[in-house]
Amino acid sequence: MFGPTTKVLVVDDMLTMRKLVSKTLREIGLTEITEASDGVLAWEAIEKAAPPIELVISDWNMPNCTGMDLLKKIRGSSKHAALPFIMVTAEAEQHQVVEAVKAGVSNYVVKPFTPEALREKLEAVHKKASG
Amino acid sequence: MQLDANFFKPFVDGAMKTFEISCKLKALPQKPFLKGSQPQPEFAIAGVIGLTSPKFNGNITLCFPAPVFLAAMSSMLGEDFKEITDDLQDGVAELLNIIYGQAKVVLNQQGHAVEKAIPSVIRGSQIRTTAVSSTPVMVLPFKTDAGEFHIEICSE
Repeated sequence: MFGPTTKVLVVDDMLTMRKLVSKTLREIGLTEITEASDGVLAWEAIEKAAPPIELVISDWNMPNCTGMDLLKKIRGSSKHAALPFIMVTAEAEQHQVVEAVKAGVSNYVVKPFTPEALREKLEAVHKKASG
Repeated sequence: MQLDANFFKPFVDGAMKTFEISCKLKALPQKPFLKGSQPQPEFAIAGVIGLTSPKFNGNITLCFPAPVFLAAMSSMLGEDFKEITDDLQDGVAELLNIIYGQAKVVLNQQGHAVEKAIPSVIRGSQIRTTAVSSTPVMVLPFKTDAGEFHIEICSE
């Protein structure tokens, strides 16, 4: 399972949402959190991070570079292709889920979400990544 | 399009769920009314989102008096906020975005084909919302321990 030393990148253009996701992560024991306000800044953070980012939790709808753009960039990169990626969305319609799965999302979480719901998603992603 | 209870309900359900989960506040829906038929509180911040579908064009506004918004944000983010700052104001857009997202899924299951939209924020000391069309604006009031907030649904 991801733990206190897991390096997490939280990506959202809304400051309050970044704070909420980070607070929820701390509640479930993850404290090594970096934040980025769009996909471009997130990609820079992923490229520069040392030790490397081990998990990305990203909003879908963002200006400049959306969560989907970021996911495709990560999956298309030889260096970061296997990076676990959880998409956060307020609009969990079937066609969107299918689009995200096709692009290689590790899992997705629908807003509003409880700490327990996020923990379950993290466990599922970790199991998939280690399995 | 005639606004009816089936159209409002996803927004009411979305607001209740969002407040309960994200803000840990009970938001109890009160009796809806037409804008202008009853007094409304003074709002300090509002989020507005356009709602476009083949059956409906209009907007949804989420309006808060300052104490209610501050209580919601304080509870949501685990900090004690005393004033609405630039850093805090996108919280109203995020709450509206979450409510809209849930309502969109339900409305689209009913065949509305609601499109994706981006919310914007209005902030001031005494915000007054006014309909720009002659169509009545429906007000959905909610009661919380910190006071009332309203969702307004306006069609073109």
